[in-house]
Amino acid sequence: MKRDSMNQDNFSSSTAGSCSSSTKAKMWPCDADDGGGGGGGVDELFAVLGYNVKSSDMAEVAHKIEQLEEVMGSVRHDGLSQLASDTVHYNPSDLSSWLESMISGLNPMPDFDSSLDNPFLDSSPTLTATTTTTNSFDSRPRMPVDLDFGSDLIAIPGKAVYPRTQPPPPPPPHQHHQPQAKKLKTSPSLGNSVSALHRDPVFARPVESARPVVLLDSQENGVRLVHTLLACAEAVQQENFKLAEALVKNIGFLAVSQPGAMRKVATYFAEALARRIYRLYPTNPQDSAFTDLLQMHFYETCPYLKFAHFTANQAILEAFEGKSRVHVIDFSMKQGMQWPALLQALALRPGGPPSFRLTGIGPPSHDDTDHLQEVGWRLAQLAETINVEFEYRGFVANSLADLNASMFDVREGETVAVNSIFDLHQLMARPGAVEKVLQVVRELKPEILTVVEQEANHNGAVFLDRFTESLHYYSTLFDSLESCGGGGGAAAAGDEAVSVQDKVMTEVYLGRQICNVVACEGSDRVERHETLAQWRTRFDSAGFVPVHLGSNAYKQASMLLALFAGGDGYMVEENGGCLMLGWHTRPLIATSAWKLS
Amino acid sequence: MMQFTETFPPPPPPLHQSSVITTPPSFNPMNKNQVLRVGSWPGYFPTSKSLQGRLGDANCMEQLLVHCATAIETNDATLAQQILWVLNNIAPPDGDSNQRLTCGFLRALISRAAMSGNCKLLSAVANVHAASDPTTTSTHRFSIIELASFVDLTPWHRFGFTAANAAVLEAVEGYPVVHIVDLSLTHCMQIPTLIDAIAARLDGPPLVKLTVAGAMEDFPPMLDLSYEELGTKLVNFARSRNVAMEFRVVPSTSSNGFSSLIDQLRMQQLRRAENGREALVINCHMMLHYIPEEEEEQTLTYETAAASLRTMFLKAVRGLDPTVVVLVDEDADFTSGNLANRLRSAYNYLWIPYDTVDTFLPRGSKQRQWYEADICWKIENVVSHEGNRRVERLEPKSKWVRRMRNAGFGGVAYSEEAIAEVKNMLDEHAAGWGLKREEEDHLVLTWKGHNVVFATAWIPI
Repeated sequence: MKRDSMNQDNFSSSTAGSCSSSTKAKMWPCDADDGGGGGGGVDELFAVLGYNVKSSDMAEVAHKIEQLEEVMGSVRHDGLSQLASDTVHYNPSDLSSWLESMISGLNPMPDFDSSLDNPFLDSSPTLTATTTTTNSFDSRPRMPVDLDFGSDLIAIPGKAVYPRTQPPPPPPPHQHHQPQAKKLKTSPSLGNSVSALHRDPVFARPVESARPVVLLDSQENGVRLVHTLLACAEAVQQENFKLAEALVKNIGFLAVSQPGAMRKVATYFAEALARRIYRLYPTNPQDSAFTDLLQMHFYETCPYLKFAHFTANQAILEAFEGKSRVHVIDFSMKQGMQWPALLQALALRPGGPPSFRLTGIGPPSHDDTDHLQEVGWRLAQLAETINVEFEYRGFVANSLADLNASMFDVREGETVAVNSIFDLHQLMARPGAVEKVLQVVRELKPEILTVVEQEANHNGAVFLDRFTESLHYYSTLFDSLESCGGGGGAAAAGDEAVSVQDKVMTEVYLGRQICNVVACEGSDRVERHETLAQWRTRFDSAGFVPVHLGSNAYKQASMLLALFAGGDGYMVEENGGCLMLGWHTRPLIATSAWKLS
Repeated sequence: MMQFTETFPPPPPPLHQSSVITTPPSFNPMNKNQVLRVGSWPGYFPTSKSLQGRLGDANCMEQLLVHCATAIETNDATLAQQILWVLNNIAPPDGDSNQRLTCGFLRALISRAAMSGNCKLLSAVANVHAASDPTTTSTHRFSIIELASFVDLTPWHRFGFTAANAAVLEAVEGYPVVHIVDLSLTHCMQIPTLIDAIAARLDGPPLVKLTVAGAMEDFPPMLDLSYEELGTKLVNFARSRNVAMEFRVVPSTSSNGFSSLIDQLRMQQLRRAENGREALVINCHMMLHYIPEEEEEQTLTYETAAASLRTMFLKAVRGLDPTVVVLVDEDADFTSGNLANRLRSAYNYLWIPYDTVDTFLPRGSKQRQWYEADICWKIENVVSHEGNRRVERLEPKSKWVRRMRNAGFGGVAYSEEAIAEVKNMLDEHAAGWGLKREEEDHLVLTWKGHNVVFATAWIPI
């Protein structure tokens, strides 16, 4: 469609021969200066933003970037080969490669995510290629950038990649940033700051393009990246799409120089912003099978979903104690991953197993397969081997709000548990749906209702607030992903490939959420995460009282996490009888249990 | 809009469907549906035929432990986590004997995972687990009185004491000097009874020389006093029975096959050979299995046997030309290099101490905590450790018999009096204990028909 006209804007010729080894060598000391001077200015740069952002939060993001930089620095080689293999096999989503090519067509810059779709990484994954492949460089101007993406520094062939179609003021020396920043501080209103940002060459241009080769400290770039993302979101909020478009291009450019997590997360946010700007709204995936598949990779890669299952199962197991007929109604059946462990634990509980009914609810499949039944079959087989009397029923429903209590055929003397993992927030897209579902749950008279939700508010009325919250949330989540699997030194070479696969699919899984939070509106926006505090209010007014998850659940979760999560960044936290799993100080998901008041 | 799927249990699924499910997934992102259909659940969870519930909970627990061990060994964190969660919930530390046994193994597996994995939070894990388990007790250091009454509670050790003492008494009859080398896990606890018996000898008590290995490492049950102090007490006790006794400690370790002890005994051997009136008794009570055994790939053929410290020790003992060698040990095999096999074998042996404890120690008693902590030490040693740190390397009776024969010993049959004495001793204990004679000259202590401890006596041939 628009591709042709977009391509005309693409950089057509390359004069990038200037990126030579000699200039590069000369620039190294320059970086040291940048690094030293950049550190002190970080807080102030944040402070001038004037957005509705807690500066402490942003400082943490910056700190994280620094951490990531260190991590990437120490495992650079691994990181490269790993990303190289990412490249070969996967696209972030069904649409994204198409969109990406379109955006890069629009955008006189490298791809948003050079690690994806880049065929060159495989063939020359080392940094030295930058200085030795001048010839190929002429024909492939993006190459040095791509090759360097994993390093602290980046050689950016300014002219080649970024023709001076935009105002080319002389490169402001680094020291200039701070005075300007201080001046901006006095005009913190949104409108002012945006126009200020627009004028500010830092935001209008990605690099000091007068130099043939610009080496940027990635931390400083990280700060700019965050600035630019927020500025872009603000422009979107103000419907200043021209500015937003200019900024979204910069995001991709800045993201390239970032270490793993920041680059990836920024790329997904950039894609989401671009979709919003160009009105290429993602359609909600009808293909629930693929969504399930992504979630299974998410399950494998990081502890969040396992934690959700363990903690919810703990509450259910305790609620079923001494009951002879139990019935789990699972709002989040998916692949049924939660239930084998519970079945096994019930099978061996003192006094013998109960008879177990399971009602699984899932969305309709895009093809004719009845996957709910297949999952049920496998659970039935397991139940048979461990001698648990088992009965299963699958419900296909587009929304939980379509269900009513009588469908579940709750029988006399049956102890009911209702379970929802990352599902209730979707109901917020339909007015009154949460209330309706909670009313249905009330009618089911469950012994316990277990709920796991993302611990974030991505459902605010103001777009920029949502954007800021989700940027922070998903940066933390992606940061935690970097620590587990894929790069883990302990994993054997054979396992590594699986982990990389899991990790990439996990990123796609989370990327879809980002896209939904940022790019969608109305009933299409289903990732309406809310905080535990908000859920508490909602459950309270729906007539539920909290069931405290025992210290046993806490200790077990901590132990399992410590044993297998790999790395000491994960934290389990008890919050008023609920359990939260977070990365460092930031809680990311929360398990709560409820019963009728 | 919604539709019902079928209600279980329906008739068995068509064959092609189940074959799809059991086929291992070959990942191909281009074919999502296929991938999903054969998705990774629940191949991750043990659904094997071995998990037959009708064989009893203990069997299921054993299977879960084995699956868990395998998952830990293969870095399958997902499965390991799932099973650990299940085990945590079905094996409370204050449950029945099977649950406590399983809990001991669970702890050992957690400890192994913490040590072997990339877990930097070893202490945190240990703390979490210790905190969750109020009954966790570190191994107790017994006073000599505590230990004496402790070993009296059960035939576990008394069986070996009684059988060994009877064999020794018969063998040393007529010798004016009796040199006893006591390699015993229970710190000479059988010696007082032996002195009593020797003192009553018709031809008058001999001079008793007692030599012990002052072990550098300590295995439970542990004693809270030094061997020198213990020796003084024993000498005083002997004096009170009018038996003259010399006591000597030779610092020596099982880890090198007691080589310094053997050297000492060799030097003494010269003097002994001169007068010819000194009996040499080597009493091995549950101690030899701490001597490292062969590497797994080596077989016990004559040629390679030289490489084993166990064989070297036995050959050295044979070289001392002892009057009698008594070998008492637990009848199980903890030597497998394969964790799952070793775990299985330990689980199928160590249920016995848990099962018997109800017959002689009340729940919640301090003694019971000490007793179970010592079993847990054993479990942890077998399951969590590898290499030099794994010292609990029991071998079954058949293997020891082969070793003794290869070293040049022949079995001595127990006399009817000795057997009667053991039977009398067993009568003081719970009904589940039994005595079995195998191959004419071996005595075996049983619990509910399962072999527990064997006692054998040997002379050079």
